[in-house]
Amino acid sequence: MTSSAVPASQSPAGEPRGKPLGWSSARRVGSRVPRSIWPLIAFLVLFVIGGLIRPNLITVDSLIGTATFAIILSIASFGQTIAVIQAGIDLSVPNTIAFSALTFLGLVGPLGPAGAFSAALVAGAVIGLLNGVVISKLGLTPIVTTIAMNGLLFGVILLVFNFSELTAIPEFILAITSAKISVLGLETAAVLPLGLALMAVLQLVLSFTGWGRSLFVVGSAAEAARLGGLPVDRIRIGGYVLSGVLAAFAGVVIVGYYQQASATMGASYLLSSVAAVVVGGASIFGGRGSVVGTVGGALVLAQVSTLVAVLNLGANIQQLIYGVIILLVISLYGRRANN
Amino acid sequence: MTDARVGAAVPAAAPGHPDLPDGPWSPGEALLVATDLVKSYGPVQAVQGVSFQCNPGEVLALVGENGAGKSTVAKMLAGAVTPTSGSIAVGGQPLAYGSVRQSRQSGVRCAFQELALVPDWTVAENLSLPDGAPYRGFSQKKSVVAAAELLEAFDLPHIDPRATVGTLSLADRQLVEIARALAGRPKLLILDEASSALTPPGVAWLFQRIRELTAEGGSVIYVSHRLGEIAEIADRGAVLRDGKVAGEFTRGSWTDDQLISLMAGREAARFFPDPPARTTDATALSVADLRSEGVHGIDLSLGAGEILGIGGLQGHGQAELLRALFGAAPATADSWTVAGRAVSGTTPVRSVRHGVGYVPEDRKREGLALEMSVGENLLVPWFKAYQLGGRPRLSRERGWIDGILGALSVHTRGPNELSGALSGGNQQKLVFGRWMNRSRTVILLHDPTRGIDVRAKQELYEAIVDLAKQGVGIIWFSTEVEELVHVCHRVVVLYQGTVIDELTGVRLTGDAVVGASMGLRAAA
Amino acid sequence: MSVAAPARLPRSAGITRLRREGAIAPITAFAVFFLVYVIINPELLTRFQLQTASNLVVPLALVALGQLLVVLVGGIDISIGAIMSLCNVVFATQLEHVPVPLAILLAIGVGLACGLFNGLLVAYGGLPAIAVTLASAFIFGSLAREVLDRPGGGITKAIYLATSGELLPYLPVSLVWLSVVAVLLWLLLQRTALGRHIYGVGSNMESVRAAGLDARLTKLLAFGLAGMVTSLGAMMLAASTVTGDPRSGDAYLLSSIAAVALAGAAFTGGRGSIIGTVLAACTLGLIGNLLFFAGVNSYWQYVISALIIFTVVGLPVVWGKVAFAVKGRRP
Repeated sequence: MTSSAVPASQSPAGEPRGKPLGWSSARRVGSRVPRSIWPLIAFLVLFVIGGLIRPNLITVDSLIGTATFAIILSIASFGQTIAVIQAGIDLSVPNTIAFSALTFLGLVGPLGPAGAFSAALVAGAVIGLLNGVVISKLGLTPIVTTIAMNGLLFGVILLVFNFSELTAIPEFILAITSAKISVLGLETAAVLPLGLALMAVLQLVLSFTGWGRSLFVVGSAAEAARLGGLPVDRIRIGGYVLSGVLAAFAGVVIVGYYQQASATMGASYLLSSVAAVVVGGASIFGGRGSVVGTVGGALVLAQVSTLVAVLNLGANIQQLIYGVIILLVISLYGRRANN
Repeated sequence: MTDARVGAAVPAAAPGHPDLPDGPWSPGEALLVATDLVKSYGPVQAVQGVSFQCNPGEVLALVGENGAGKSTVAKMLAGAVTPTSGSIAVGGQPLAYGSVRQSRQSGVRCAFQELALVPDWTVAENLSLPDGAPYRGFSQKKSVVAAAELLEAFDLPHIDPRATVGTLSLADRQLVEIARALAGRPKLLILDEASSALTPPGVAWLFQRIRELTAEGGSVIYVSHRLGEIAEIADRGAVLRDGKVAGEFTRGSWTDDQLISLMAGREAARFFPDPPARTTDATALSVADLRSEGVHGIDLSLGAGEILGIGGLQGHGQAELLRALFGAAPATADSWTVAGRAVSGTTPVRSVRHGVGYVPEDRKREGLALEMSVGENLLVPWFKAYQLGGRPRLSRERGWIDGILGALSVHTRGPNELSGALSGGNQQKLVFGRWMNRSRTVILLHDPTRGIDVRAKQELYEAIVDLAKQGVGIIWFSTEVEELVHVCHRVVVLYQGTVIDELTGVRLTGDAVVGASMGLRAAA
Repeated sequence: MSVAAPARLPRSAGITRLRREGAIAPITAFAVFFLVYVIINPELLTRFQLQTASNLVVPLALVALGQLLVVLVGGIDISIGAIMSLCNVVFATQLEHVPVPLAILLAIGVGLACGLFNGLLVAYGGLPAIAVTLASAFIFGSLAREVLDRPGGGITKAIYLATSGELLPYLPVSLVWLSVVAVLLWLLLQRTALGRHIYGVGSNMESVRAAGLDARLTKLLAFGLAGMVTSLGAMMLAASTVTGDPRSGDAYLLSSIAAVALAGAAFTGGRGSIIGTVLAACTLGLIGNLLFFAGVNSYWQYVISALIIFTVVGLPVVWGKVAFAVKGRRP
């Protein structure tokens, strides 16, 4: 590993002077490799292992299949990434996904696809806004606030939506998610380039805008940010709004890709979105994380599930392996940074 | 029973009860022998080969500047920190390292600088729980009775044993902490800056307790940087500098000046720059009847280019005053202006816009985002949500950043190094430097030189004086009287949340500052 | 002496402690709720309804107590639902093979083991509780489905009666069991040194260490104890529904955290009360019932629970801000 080509969000790239040899220098080099690279490496290793077990797994199609599964989990976890970076957590992701998906389907008749799409995103923004205001102004812990919000949304979903009507899925959404398109001669579902584009945009926002960087300051040391004169509450609320919008976007994408919607469609993302973020190298204490890393984390989880499916081990073993991977990841770099 | 032990300790600790537990040592022998103690934290050597001994019935002072390694030594003796190498023997027996419990059981007790009281426990719980077995019953009632007896025996009847420790004043908490250390009738009592918040009667109380203990043959290690107290109580002492023993002294054989130069080191003999001559009469900040939590009506006026020192004992409203002025704590005032503009109900965001900067007390928690780069930490107050950030912003601001890093001689591999990797002094420079050359009107400093090395101090003094030359008004709370006396134009001393005295010109002397912080207003 | 503090008026120590532990709000909330409930549905006080209601809330109350223990030491347990599922299926399946007392012991043992697993990694591994328990949520959940992959098990009528029937007329057995556990836990937390250590570790771990106490062991024990209490909740649930279900705990993850939040516990640790948690769980658990009897669509329960949490926890904050604003304006 060399220390060149480090994105700004991560370690320093100053001139290394008189590096001591041995473990500490290996460590230093290790610490200067951006964390978001590790999950990608882990994914490649798993991919090769899969190929050793079943040589027919090393194909572009298999790669695309895993990547498509991973990108959907990633899109659902982007909002979670934003929340974790600012030292929070968003456990209202599952029902934000369901709520926006159902809002979209419910409004697509009266408002048309674009209108319904905007309405879904606005719904996500409102949910995020409420989360952010309660957390930063009332001082409730993020975990409790978002759990309560998740429950509240569940009630609203059950009360508002009449599930028998929600069947027609508009072309427009199918076109950007499940439709097969050809990129550089490779056949893939449209959601894959969509998700990667979203990742790129988000990473640019996080790494290269004032707002993105202040999110990291707030997550790393909220009190330092406040005493440095940053509008911490506003940054926090903005973070949760973005988190809500991204979860809402995920809801629409999931509807388009799986072509079904229900009140509990987001439930599986409660823990797996956090898992993808943690495996992607974000610190659960905040101040560290990247959407590229989250995609890497999702790829690792997706590759595990591909392997488990190929080896016929069953969904239980897959969950068990997820747990073990999370433990491995946090024992590698889950401790508090400053002790 | 837990509480019974506390109760049992009372008569023994009370005066006129000289019987000591039979130790394996003979009277002439040293009670404590510390040999070649070393403690390193990663690449940093906090303590590098410290040896000393302490005889029964003796008060041994450990003096040194902040960051000299005194506290680390005290923590090693108390068992809270495991030495990297070296040995400690108490009464001929080697001390168990890294176990406060075992140290306590072998008769070594410590009152820590950072209070070791649990804030959500009551006084009674804090006094009795540490000595009890964890799997025994615990009776609130009995512990309250025992604690009341103990506090009574130690002449602290004003402390309510049922009160939650978090609600006590800092001074009372220190008294409780000391009482807890005394309760076990220790062979060796370590007082680690335990008097930092005590008023003169409190210090007198502490000295009374120390004399009782030494009269029974117990020993005391008194860690402090208050030379006046050391002159009164210490029989012998060792001076620590940069983690090493720089010299030793015995009662009556030293002068303050000698000790100070020992503490500071010869080559870095302390040089305080004089405050610059003021060129303007413009007012940078004025506030009348400022009220906030812990601040009870303070009038202040600060001129442009003036360095105003804030003195006083710890916990008398200095921190609160600075926080209130910066808007970090809610505050009200009759009138409040910054550079002539009226201010009301300010927040940190608005203060920065008004031209105020603040260097908070705890640089690691309140000052820096340790996981972010040096450059971005400098830029924190100047982030704009809708502008560029990260790399592109850093290269755009490169000139300013390099200027600051150069002016303060920050040791860093560059603006992209993580600020957590820097030493304490360099971190402090970052928190300070972010306000430089950014057209500030007022800069509020909370003890910026605490715990940093002498060179870094020197560089900060010069930077502060430079800022004043540029016409920035500076309010500087310092716990080092010397700084106040030498570098400030004017010093106001706070006592119990109000200004008790204002010192300028010939009245601005170390004795006057110390006197005023004890609550004595000198005749004008 | 240095600072003359006025002698404090002796106040009832119990009330002071309840206030300090944040229990006043949930107790008040429960009292109001109970009153409303009885007005809308006086039938609650019939034997059948009392029994149903208490069977409904007791598992939640027990799991919430488990969550409280972890929260008291400054942690949070994301795996509590999975622990519950695992104990639930272990209990239900073991009943088919071994005598009842042994099955109970096995279930408690599994709960203890799960708690100690989390506790070891958190206390001795120095890892964040939220991440550790996230991982173990996956692990325990998958183990639960390995033990029993669909609802089933061998729970008999006798077990149902022993846990969820009536001890005396108007006295549901489940309530008795809950009281026994709650009182024992209360004794442990308030009347033993270990209990006070648990509060202390959550309040300030460094201080507890500096006082020479074993903070890490205390943390570990709190996690282990939490696992045991959770297993009791799991068994009560299995018995009252007369089935073992590998997904039965899932719903309890969020609701146990909600109950602890409503109980006024500090998620930074060190504050929280048994009585507050039990009553908060009762409030949250009975909202659905109340709405049913009030003739309201019971889906409203989700909305109302959230609003109750926001109100009860948020009100003191708003009140404090308003009070300061009013006081601050005064000259």
